[in-house]
Amino acid sequence: MGMAEFVIIGGGPGGISAAIEAAKAGLTVTVLDENDRIGGQIYRQLEKGFKVDDLNIMGKDYKKGLELCRQFEELKGKIIYLNNATVWGIFNNRTIAFARNGSSERLQFEKLLIAAGAYDRPVPFPGWTLPGVLTAGGAQKLVKTERVIPGKKILLAGTGPLQLVLANQLLQAGCEIAAILEAGEIKNNWLKLIKGMWGNWEYMADGLIYLHHIKKAGIPLLRNHIITEARGDNQVEAVVVAKVDKDWRPIFGTKQTIKVDSVCLGYGLVTSSELTSLAECEHEYENAWGGYVPVRTETMETTVQGIYAVGDGARVAGSKVAIEEGRIVGIVIANALGYVSDEKKWVIVKESKKSIDKYNRLRKVLDEISRPRPGLYELAKNETIICRCEDVTFREIHAAMSKEGSKAKDIKRTTRLGMGSCGGRMCGPTIIELLKNKSGSDSRSPENLTPRPPVKPVPIGVLSGE
Amino acid sequence: MEDDPNRLKKGVSRGEKFEIVVDGKRIDAYEGETVGAAMMAAGFRTLRYSKKKKEPRGIYCGIGLCQECRMVINGVPNTQACKTLATPGCHVEFAQTEIKKGV
Repeated sequence: MGMAEFVIIGGGPGGISAAIEAAKAGLTVTVLDENDRIGGQIYRQLEKGFKVDDLNIMGKDYKKGLELCRQFEELKGKIIYLNNATVWGIFNNRTIAFARNGSSERLQFEKLLIAAGAYDRPVPFPGWTLPGVLTAGGAQKLVKTERVIPGKKILLAGTGPLQLVLANQLLQAGCEIAAILEAGEIKNNWLKLIKGMWGNWEYMADGLIYLHHIKKAGIPLLRNHIITEARGDNQVEAVVVAKVDKDWRPIFGTKQTIKVDSVCLGYGLVTSSELTSLAECEHEYENAWGGYVPVRTETMETTVQGIYAVGDGARVAGSKVAIEEGRIVGIVIANALGYVSDEKKWVIVKESKKSIDKYNRLRKVLDEISRPRPGLYELAKNETIICRCEDVTFREIHAAMSKEGSKAKDIKRTTRLGMGSCGGRMCGPTIIELLKNKSGSDSRSPENLTPRPPVKPVPIGVLSGE
Repeated sequence: MEDDPNRLKKGVSRGEKFEIVVDGKRIDAYEGETVGAAMMAAGFRTLRYSKKKKEPRGIYCGIGLCQECRMVINGVPNTQACKTLATPGCHVEFAQTEIKKGV
């Protein structure tokens, strides 16, 4: 078994910036990345063989990401980068197990940073499993890095500014966008939005440019609207959309049908909290932050000493915050292991904290607009699939839920929900919200599905070779 | 190019072009493309049929989490099409061979 002083799980903005900060201070850092190349989802680099003439097509953040990736590459002497590494277990809070190149390895660490990232919130409604209905993140990956369009006539449904980013990318790619549905209430939040934007000029400018392009292209931007159904035989052919009230419940008589061949769903992000759960870190629930998030100190340490968490995997707040949080952890660990002085540490921590506060001021307003409301989880009908892997329907889940005091793990046991190969990533956030909404004002926690190793599918041959 | 409308051409150049075999049909793929992307470009949207209800499923999350794109690639079952890079001549099949619709 290998030993390492500082292990980082995740090659996105949080992981990269922590590695850079710590390596600059003199630490040897081991980075485990599930992908082939660093960048994570947001800075995902073009695949081999692809070249683009104009980097702007990759999005504004991409160039910033490339610069971060370049710094990371320059420190390769101090950073051990293990790509295509799937971490599947954490044991005794001091050892991780990961699969790589067809075999499983273990690594003991002194300090661990989990920067696992986030993914699009799955929202079940009739027809959401039809081919052609995909997440905004999935569509973005296809268009950005593989230059393949998901469809010819696309509906965007969801909430938040990422939808505007995707719309712009699809427009640049030459797709026809039927409409953009924003579930949230913007009208009564303009003042708050402007206050949040104050100082965040870069975000503000980007937002206005995106909106301008959407308007210029004549795309209907329907606020307070959600998708209630996708229809089609073997793939999506049409969608039903409706105006919603403040709780995101469809208003009677506002339904309309639109013909599309593709739907991109972007209802915000949910945290990948499997690894922090496996490490037995304490979690709290806040749906605006992405569901179950690890409880952290000012310097991003979880309740398990020596294990830190940053970025969207710890609280969904975007790449800019992830970078600053990563910096904090990098310097704090360098200090803890005796590489830099307390003085130097505090300079960086304070600097980063200041930036985070500024970003979070805007984030708070956006979260208030976009955090999922109860109506979103009332769209599923009896036969709607909730658990994609095991084909568990809402009817089955509803029956299991009706038992007094049932928690997520009880429903898992009776329905097989969350036992499939996605490890509960697709149904977990839904079951928590369903249980929350059922208990109404009940403050009792429905408790998260407990992930068990392996948290990602690993071929049995790889595990048995351990 | 009219015959390949789902691949963007403007401002992008691709590497080597080759063929892969999906459910017995030859389709184009480029170096660096995943099997899932090559299939989407060729108009294949269904990648598997669900466990109990045998309903068609396609790329959903697109980033390697949801497992909806599991196919048999070069004989290896449960391989994620959205994460597996296409290679010249690679064979892609549906997991349940008794249902061959694949539109």
